Amino acid sequence: MSGPVEVEYTGVRELRGPLVVVEGVSGVGWDEFATIVLDSGERRHGLVLEVDRDLAVVQVLEDTAGMNRTGTRVAFSGSPMRIPVGAGWLGRVGNGRGEPADGGPPVLGGSYEAVGGAPINPVRREPPNDPVLTGVGAVDVLTTLVRGQKLPVFSAAGLPHLELAVQIAAQATCGGEPFAVVFAGMGLTHADTAFVRDGLAARSAARELVLFLNTADDPVIERLLTPRLALTVAEHLAFAQGRHVLVVMTDMTAYSEALREVSAARGEIPARRAYPGYLYSDLASLYERCGRIRGRPGSLTILPVLTMPAGDITHPVPDLTGYITEGQIVLSADVQAAGTYPPVDPLASLSRLMRKGTGAGRTRADHPAVAAQLIAALARSRQVAELADLIGRAALSPTDLRHLELQDAFRDRFLPQGTDEDRSLDDSLDRAWEVLLTLPRSQLGMLPADLLDTHAPPRREERR
Amino acid sequence: MTAPVDELDPVRAELLRAARAAAEATLDHARTGAADTLLAARTAAETVLAQARRLGEADGAEEADRERVRAAQEAWETELVVRAEVYAALRAEVRRGVRRALAREGVAARSHLADVARAALGPEAEITASAQGGVTAETPGRRVDLSADALADGALDRLGVRAETLWGPP
Repeated sequence: MSGPVEVEYTGVRELRGPLVVVEGVSGVGWDEFATIVLDSGERRHGLVLEVDRDLAVVQVLEDTAGMNRTGTRVAFSGSPMRIPVGAGWLGRVGNGRGEPADGGPPVLGGSYEAVGGAPINPVRREPPNDPVLTGVGAVDVLTTLVRGQKLPVFSAAGLPHLELAVQIAAQATCGGEPFAVVFAGMGLTHADTAFVRDGLAARSAARELVLFLNTADDPVIERLLTPRLALTVAEHLAFAQGRHVLVVMTDMTAYSEALREVSAARGEIPARRAYPGYLYSDLASLYERCGRIRGRPGSLTILPVLTMPAGDITHPVPDLTGYITEGQIVLSADVQAAGTYPPVDPLASLSRLMRKGTGAGRTRADHPAVAAQLIAALARSRQVAELADLIGRAALSPTDLRHLELQDAFRDRFLPQGTDEDRSLDDSLDRAWEVLLTLPRSQLGMLPADLLDTHAPPRREERR
Repeated sequence: MTAPVDELDPVRAELLRAARAAAEATLDHARTGAADTLLAARTAAETVLAQARRLGEADGAEEADRERVRAAQEAWETELVVRAEVYAALRAEVRRGVRRALAREGVAARSHLADVARAALGPEAEITASAQGGVTAETPGRRVDLSADALADGALDRLGVRAETLWGPP
């Protein structure tokens, strides 16, 4: 035989909820991965939550139902959880702890990687560059996703964030370069799980998708693993195999709530709203795994989706996420109430790295100017709408009235899009021009004259 | 004797001519209207037909796309199930092979495995021969499984990606 002999510990002192307290252990560390064998021969898995002298507290991933104190054996792997990585994951569906959920054999990767990941050396990071086009006009034109960026979607209960996440995962492309999507679903209902699988069937059939699905009724500790598994698989696809990889993680609020539960089980001192004090650094340990590495092809882009409880953007999860990420796409209940999909609030949304991914040679030469002008015009439109509420529409100037028309044109002709409509960037930008040209040239000062001349030749009265 | 001339004949004739002319004009108008209506109807029918054809083609293309994705997905699911069966068959075969090898080696193998177990758990470990071959060893609170099946499973796990040659191209 080869390989070290695996010692199993049989001294189970206590079974409490999802926890197993094992005595007589030695050399066991925090977060170590454990395999638990039941009397029946069934195998389960766990993570070490706490070690004190010869006692180890193990959280069982699959729960402790059916386990006995006698006859249960626990073996510790000597390292944190590892997962096989490689192209074998493409087209596969795993559960929240990385086991196949599609009826197939285990995923046999060429190598194993620790799911905790290794942070990218800051001096070897390349700045994000070039776009990931999502086929969603409001995102591509106004908050362009850039390769290597982390750009969250801020949503609220009842808004179609899952539809948008699935649509982006189904449609995203990187200009014909090798591309893959890793989708991590956390705390999803079974109906949502079915929706995700159906929505991404074509991408999965094309072997461009890896799905990790943790459902709402799975143990919470698995929810902490799911994004880490997804990122570990994605890192290998990106940096070892040269693909551009988009990781969609939804719902990060469900993840953070799982973190809170596990922290409480560990007896840690709660911080704001009972989340652990390390929520910021824990979220950063996920989000900071995106990027590009100098000298290596491929990139890892992260699109986390989170729901703001009661729409509160100051809640710790969106608040701390906003400190780490590079902008946000905000979904609005008001836009949703008007029956518009996707209900993106353009003025609250921002992609901080957009300039690095747009313009000539990347998207289209007029893109940055059009996006900036459209945002400026929409901001003015909102002010005018507020003014109209105060003084009445009749008292507005003709220019102000044109701004109200622009707002309507934006909501009617630019924003609305079908959930399965893959809109080209050219189409989206042309629509943006159509909306902008509801204003007179004098109000389009952020657009260079040559661009304006191409898209809207000046009328006689404007030439004078 | 000549028949008396009705002085109203010219009037009658003129009325008759006017009536005939009006009837002819009405008929012409009706014919033109019918032709126009027919033309308009034909044009409308052609437009509706063209639109229906376009919609039908689009619906058909969408349905074909959906069908193609569904077929690809089903084929992939079937392939995964078969791969899982082949992998399970490999595991069963490896287990049988290890059992046969341990049975062939007999006491020597059992003695070697017992030494390995004692090295892990200490000399006081209680060694028990496993029914399928190999041994298990136990001390209070600790256990080592060196049975044939455990050894086979460990070997298969270490095989890793090489097992993919089972379903990869030769």
